[in-house]
Amino acid sequence: MNTNSPLAGVRIADFTIHAAGPYCTHLLSQLGAECIKIESRTRPDAFRKPHAVYGRMQAATFDQVSANKLSVRLNLKQPEAIVLAKRLVAVSDIAAESFRAGVMKRLGLGFDDLRAAKPDIVMLSLSSCGQNGPDSHFAGYAPLFGAWGGLGWMSGYSDGPPMEMRHVMDHSAGVHAALATMAALHQRRRTGQAQHVDLAAREVASAMIGDALLMASLGATPVRPGNADLAMAPHGVYATSQPDRWLTLAVRNDAEWHALARVLGQGGTDPRFATAQGRLRHREELDQLLTQWLAACNADETAERLQQAGVCAHVSWNMQDIASDRHLRERGAVTEVSAPDIPTRLAVGAPARFARTNDVGIRRLTPALGQDEDYVFGELLGLDSAQRADLQTREVIL
Amino acid sequence: MQLNDSPQAAAAQPLSGCRVLERSRTVAAAYAGRLLAAMGARVVMLEPPGGSPLRHAAPLLDDTGESALFAYLSVGKRSLVCDPASPAARAVLERELDRADILIDDTPVNARAAQGLDPETVGSRFPQLVHVSVLPFGSTGPKAGWDGEEVNMVHAGGEGFLLPNGLSNELFPDRAPLKIYGHFGGYQAGCTAALCALSAWWAVPQGGGQYVDVSVQDAVLSVGAFALQRLGDGSLEHRKSRRFRYGGVFEAQDGFIELLTLEDRQWSSLVDLLEQPAWAQDEALRDPLERSRRGDEINGHVREWMARHQVEDIVRRAQELGVPAAKYRTPAEVMHGEHERERGLFAPATLESGQQAEVLVAPFQFRCTPLEGGGRVPPLDEMAQEAAR
Repeated sequence: MNTNSPLAGVRIADFTIHAAGPYCTHLLSQLGAECIKIESRTRPDAFRKPHAVYGRMQAATFDQVSANKLSVRLNLKQPEAIVLAKRLVAVSDIAAESFRAGVMKRLGLGFDDLRAAKPDIVMLSLSSCGQNGPDSHFAGYAPLFGAWGGLGWMSGYSDGPPMEMRHVMDHSAGVHAALATMAALHQRRRTGQAQHVDLAAREVASAMIGDALLMASLGATPVRPGNADLAMAPHGVYATSQPDRWLTLAVRNDAEWHALARVLGQGGTDPRFATAQGRLRHREELDQLLTQWLAACNADETAERLQQAGVCAHVSWNMQDIASDRHLRERGAVTEVSAPDIPTRLAVGAPARFARTNDVGIRRLTPALGQDEDYVFGELLGLDSAQRADLQTREVIL
Repeated sequence: MQLNDSPQAAAAQPLSGCRVLERSRTVAAAYAGRLLAAMGARVVMLEPPGGSPLRHAAPLLDDTGESALFAYLSVGKRSLVCDPASPAARAVLERELDRADILIDDTPVNARAAQGLDPETVGSRFPQLVHVSVLPFGSTGPKAGWDGEEVNMVHAGGEGFLLPNGLSNELFPDRAPLKIYGHFGGYQAGCTAALCALSAWWAVPQGGGQYVDVSVQDAVLSVGAFALQRLGDGSLEHRKSRRFRYGGVFEAQDGFIELLTLEDRQWSSLVDLLEQPAWAQDEALRDPLERSRRGDEINGHVREWMARHQVEDIVRRAQELGVPAAKYRTPAEVMHGEHERERGLFAPATLESGQQAEVLVAPFQFRCTPLEGGGRVPPLDEMAQEAAR
């Protein structure tokens, strides 16, 4: 147990698969929860499997949602495995799952079943569309969450199609699910009652456009702004002297506008741009001017100088920039991970820095399938080796 | 209508009894407080004398000029004016901190000491308090003094460079990369701050309060973690190459659709959806790698078919066949969606002007104790004014 972690002592029976659910429990495990991932050889997490859709046949993304976790095998098609799963839930604080609505119930692992096994269980069900409602049976992936939820419609070039959201949509669902699960855990501490948290990933996408939805409730029609801002100009992403090295800028007030002009060596500025209103009104001309000013500028050096002058600026970073950044390394947001048979590689680390319970982050890498059964089946459930061998023979543990 | 402070209404909520003090200039801190308030915490916004800058943040409502963003972020909270830079108000700050379990703060690092809000001072005066800082680049590290708005942060965290991919990028290959609508990075950081606040609060009985440092940049990177893993695999992702080989955004007769088939059985169902066209009978396309290689060709055929059909028909048939497909819905369609209505995603809210709107309750539900939702947007300093009456 990680005694110096905020969630030391919390145990999760983790039935989640793919990205969103596993990322939720990955976050909780980074915060110190003991997370027991339940799969089987015949039905491993899809993220252990290769995905040719990316143009190659390799498992690509499992580490980043499965580090720290313990792994056991249970063949949930077998009634005895369901009994064992419930025994595991009975010694856990949280049961997490991300199947389509209704699957857990059909397996005999619905909320009522789990609450019978553990009267104060916190169950998390994370799905694309939630546990009820006419669309609750719909299957989906991250880009569909963005489409359903309205975030995809509101994102994109103003004169183009809606924008496809990618993995960040899965992970957004995961972090919101982790928050709701923690709230339910506090509620259990206070009341001793079980709770069933129901997170629909498409509703997380909707939460990202909460302002636009409020406007829509009043009959307004929010428009897709692209990179523009309704209150700030200049605002956007600008080309620099280096190919594909873009500079992001956001000027909030007159002082920052003057600082920007000064840093870029531009003296007397056009009176049209003297006020925020003027800059917004002449946004297109302003963007053209900025493009001229920045055409000869080095992106990184300019961002640095603008920040020193109090202007919000940053280069549009690729992952190599992030991998090389001292700030992110010092914060532990980017961390090196390695294992005896795996070369050192980078991973995203602790979600935050905790001053006291500071054992937060990745402690070990993705488990091999079933590698922690001595502890989980042996110590936690008290199965002896003969019982386990028998369960394997009969493909309950598979 | 739920009152923001009604003990009866809040008693059965997940965070009933949790007291949060919020000082927010930014969306990240305000969203952290908003999520906690939605789950029943009593959240007091400490605002400067002129009110939070978020009260004037775009987008604004046409008729009243109220901020739709602020209304979304503040519904259900309380407001108290307190300028910790003034000695008289410092006592108010101390009183409120003494009552709080959690402080969410986005005061810039270099302004904290003057306001009595540096972690050392707060930690020694209030040892049981969870003090969560949320800033664009965090409060520690070489760039802690840097500032950033959403457009900067979504690019500082790596996701911006990868947007847009797919159809938008095909149509406009030379344009600048895009941000996501609104405050996506700020929302991730706010949610992370709320998560870390509740995690640290969980540990208070064992070890007391503590300081927690959250950054928007970290949060954007965290939700985009797969791209860093890809770098470790030797692949530097780019918006031009990070597209699904086939599938993605399609334009139908009357709107846009997202379509994505990752598994073999979904491919077969897609061929059914497309009415078994001759091109799809090619035996070679049974191999997922071959489909990947010929993605452009497949997408060409799918586009041609989509353009001849109506969105609702496509989506209904696709879901029947097990093909993951969804309409790109407008805010109005989400607001009035049958699914959202049945799930109670929205609740009535009273804006500061008195106007009634509907606001998203929360992107999660607690099925044993449903969230109250809604409430009102707090007028500036309402708490002091109520106390004076």
